[in-house]
Amino acid sequence: MPYDVTITRLPLRALFDLKGRAAALEKWCGTALPPFPGRPNSRTEAADRGLHWTGPDRWLLMAPLAEEAALATALRADKVPVDLSITPVSDTLTFFAVTGPDVAEVMAVATPLDLHPDSFPPDGASWTEAFGIRSAIRTIAAGYEIAVDRSYADWFEESLRLACT
Amino acid sequence: MAADPHRLADGGRIDRSRPLRFRFDGRDYQGFAGDTLASALLANGVRIAARSFKYHRPRGIMGAGVEEPAVLVELEGDVASGNRPATTVPLIEGLAARSVNAWPSARLDLGAVNQLFARLIPAGFYYKTFKWPDWHLYEPSIRRLAGLAGAPKEPPERAYESRHAHADILIAGAGPAGLMAALVAGRAGARVFIADEGTEAGGALLNRNLTIGGQPAKDWVAAAVAELAGMENVTHLQNATVWAYREHNLLMVQERAPGNPSLLGRNWRVRAGQAITATGAIERMMVFQGNDRPGVMLASAAQAYVNRWAVRPGSRAVIFTNNDSAYAAAADLAQGGVGIAAIVDSRAAVPDHAMALVPDIAVHAGQAVTSVHGRGRVRGVSIAPCIGGTARRMPCDLLAVSGGWNPAVHLYSQSRSKIVWDKRIASFVPAEPAQAVLAAGAANGAMGLGDALAEGAARAVAALAALGQRSDVPALPETDDTPYTVTPFWTASGAGAKAFLDIQNDVTVADIELALREGYSNIEHLKRYTTGGMGIDQGKTGNVNIIGAVAERQGITPDQVGVTTFRPPYTPVEFGAIAGRRAGPVVLPYRHTPLTRWHKDNGAVMYEAGARWRRPGYYPRAGESFQDTVNREARCVREGVGIYDGAPLGKYEIKGPDAGAFLDWIYTNVMSSLTVGNGRYGLMLTDDGLILDDGVAVCLAPDRFLISTSTGNADPVGQYMEKLLQIERPDWRVKITNVTSQWANATICGPKAREVMAAMGSDIDLSPDAFPFMAFRDGQVADLPARVVRVSFTGELSFEVNVRPRDLPALWEAAMVAGAPFDIAPIGSEANHVLRVEKGFLSLGHEVDGTVDPHDLGMSWVMSRKKDDFVGKRSVELRRASGRSRRELVGIRPLDPNRQVPEGAPLTPGGRKEATEGFVTACVWSVVENRWLGLALLTDGRARIGGRAHVRLPDEVIEVELSDPVFHDPKGERLRS
Repeated sequence: MPYDVTITRLPLRALFDLKGRAAALEKWCGTALPPFPGRPNSRTEAADRGLHWTGPDRWLLMAPLAEEAALATALRADKVPVDLSITPVSDTLTFFAVTGPDVAEVMAVATPLDLHPDSFPPDGASWTEAFGIRSAIRTIAAGYEIAVDRSYADWFEESLRLACT
Repeated sequence: MAADPHRLADGGRIDRSRPLRFRFDGRDYQGFAGDTLASALLANGVRIAARSFKYHRPRGIMGAGVEEPAVLVELEGDVASGNRPATTVPLIEGLAARSVNAWPSARLDLGAVNQLFARLIPAGFYYKTFKWPDWHLYEPSIRRLAGLAGAPKEPPERAYESRHAHADILIAGAGPAGLMAALVAGRAGARVFIADEGTEAGGALLNRNLTIGGQPAKDWVAAAVAELAGMENVTHLQNATVWAYREHNLLMVQERAPGNPSLLGRNWRVRAGQAITATGAIERMMVFQGNDRPGVMLASAAQAYVNRWAVRPGSRAVIFTNNDSAYAAAADLAQGGVGIAAIVDSRAAVPDHAMALVPDIAVHAGQAVTSVHGRGRVRGVSIAPCIGGTARRMPCDLLAVSGGWNPAVHLYSQSRSKIVWDKRIASFVPAEPAQAVLAAGAANGAMGLGDALAEGAARAVAALAALGQRSDVPALPETDDTPYTVTPFWTASGAGAKAFLDIQNDVTVADIELALREGYSNIEHLKRYTTGGMGIDQGKTGNVNIIGAVAERQGITPDQVGVTTFRPPYTPVEFGAIAGRRAGPVVLPYRHTPLTRWHKDNGAVMYEAGARWRRPGYYPRAGESFQDTVNREARCVREGVGIYDGAPLGKYEIKGPDAGAFLDWIYTNVMSSLTVGNGRYGLMLTDDGLILDDGVAVCLAPDRFLISTSTGNADPVGQYMEKLLQIERPDWRVKITNVTSQWANATICGPKAREVMAAMGSDIDLSPDAFPFMAFRDGQVADLPARVVRVSFTGELSFEVNVRPRDLPALWEAAMVAGAPFDIAPIGSEANHVLRVEKGFLSLGHEVDGTVDPHDLGMSWVMSRKKDDFVGKRSVELRRASGRSRRELVGIRPLDPNRQVPEGAPLTPGGRKEATEGFVTACVWSVVENRWLGLALLTDGRARIGGRAHVRLPDEVIEVELSDPVFHDPKGERLRS
């Protein structure tokens, strides 16, 4: 009895790896960024941009691909102060949407991350592992998005589909 | 089809309206829904259901649950699996099973001939075959005769699933203690995961006639299960064994019949805040001559068969015990219509509360069964006073034994928590937790029902408290259980070569005595020498008896003997359940470049080439042999222009005020002096001063560098750098970003590479002066944003064009179009290997094998003398200060130019059968020399250049000339062109 889950490979999106103190980044980036998340492994959103707290002094900015060039200009990655780092990484990750009534079943197969709402609330976002490889997970309306290094995308999609059957 | 002559007319938890057909050892039988394979076999009068592991002695069903030591079966068909205790196999329509260690059947087993040689294969015989004359003489027959079920030959039609779960409290066992713990924790709102190995919750309550709160205990169980089912915060699994306790409270649960019909089984990896082991207790055997005869059964099992499965396991029984629990069993057997010849109790005096249970049964206190009569089944027993005296014979067809109860401490022990000897119950009990684990009920030595309920509640409250949640122990219902007392009785008089301590592994009292005589007195040594308590059984029924028998023979107490380590799995687990869906096409991760489709469409033979990347090995054309293709591709680069997919190359951006210092520390040479737009080749060493990786660092800005790593080492190097920064230099201001997948490259290489680059169109000045070797330029290539690096891994003029992966297919197509007039061709890793060997460039995994430093490879120039320190420097200097000979890189040319030398082949002095002095790291057909040549690591190799060495193969010796390892363009003029 296959799980009632839909797997969708999502198109590229604009991604920027940010490193440094939140205050310093906020000062440098100004309004280009949503407010900084208040706790680890969570995210904030403003308009169509999301800012994810991925580690100590590490952040991932996400936006539609159409905004990539404008964001690159606004963030001035090649001119950032020495204690900050802003690196375009849009091509590094492939995103999958995992949605449907049985999404919890498939996610339990895929990842050891505790996705119970008490542990991973609706604004949750975290690096973790899925099927044994490094992955980023965040909640979306009807399920989750999982991102993996683009090179693993075909294998990962095959693994997700097998987990559904 | 046989009838059920031993089935009771009513009672039990079977559904007589649902008959089920099944097959065992080639014969057809019938049982009912609710039966296990074991209960159905007993109901059909099957007494010999297995053959023993070593001696192939006939064995019958002895237990009623996971403790069953004798009858392991192999299931066939859709539910194929091996080594399942027949007592744990729920009966289903059409089930087909056979005993695992018998051929053609358990009843008629040709392996039974082993019994004739029993004296020749005592404890430790296996190890002795290692000593004389030759292990290989014995190995085939030992492997054939011993062992358990074979793996199924075909993959199952249905799949296994492996999944993760999290719980505040995991409870192993849904007996009275486990259920009570789950109720308390569940009512408090905790996330509870309770798993139980039985098909129904209730544990031992299902097998006995007890009351809770004045009602049948089974009703209390049903109510508890119903209440738990109504709690969203509770996950309750039956037919699910908690089979392993790992680090950090990670527990493994195997669910054998998940609700999803497309699944054959499911393995759960549960991370628990707190764990409660409520795993009950396991009755142990009594030890006397012939205690393995079919018809000898644990008293609790006999009781369970009558009460739960409405099966009479015999018509006339003798009960042999040293404790009180067998009295209730005797009463239930009598109630079920089994005639009780007598209760034989080794204790001098039997407590009144026990006697009160069996007012009409003869009790022989202070006596013991000393032997069993009957060959294929029990026909009678001899009993004698424990203090010595004349034995007398007593006819029976069932001998129900109870040697006391062992708390099932397996999981608790697996958590590395300490267990200690408890004289009160003559067994080991949980003592000091090493993880967040608590034990409850019989698993904790609380043998009474009331105690089990109380402990279950108390442990739940304690677990909740540990999680920061306050709760109270609820009012507990009254129970009617009787007290439990036991007096150890380890071995009967005359127990020897046919008195089994470990039924499953065929370990006898005589084996233990032999091991002790041979000096294996430490219990860990004795365990391994005799195999007692090892393997699938993990000592469920025999471990404590072995310890008791050893103590008895050494004149010490069991706690002085100590206990061995319990290991997972607690019960057999299918590998498929552990693997889950990680099988077949996804068994290992594979990685694709953005050009994989192009490569396949153009006929590439794809290889796995480090770090799970699938890359083109070569692109054969019609009519070409493998070597033709490789030669063509290599010549293409040497004489014209080629292009290869370099997307997997590892890449990191290193940024920060201390970035230069950091690179100087991790590379052997100086990188901080690089000016913007320039790069330098470098080596990284391990702390041991051995080469870790090679690559190129280029300076993007004064505080910003881009480094490349080898494909296979990209992730390890990234982790290594982070580790160094976070642990060794936390004060350094450096930020590392992995951009391996942000920049993918196509490398255009060969004398005509510059023309192709120009034809593609670029705003970068490509002239040698403006864009020299080891320089880096940002710009546009084929109208795509690109980072171009003039590095060469082929020894030819080379442009590594890095673009965003989304742009790589367009760049590649542009290169193929622009290169067409120059006969550009894609080249695979095989040709790349040829090219780098001709140039004498190192390769990770070939010349760099984890034993070499830069000096060994003739790369002393890369070891900076200007720097005070870098990773590995001290180790290199210390090692080389010894002056000992090292294996050094040399070139080799076979005297016969058409003779290929296998890569990895050893070099020995004169080709003699002596210790090697090196090995061939690579051997290729050179397109520049038109012959086979290669590289080798050879002791004192550089000093021997000009001489000869010998490759020793199994059937021949190949003589090679030693040369400098650079065969092509030794001055590097072509790559700098």
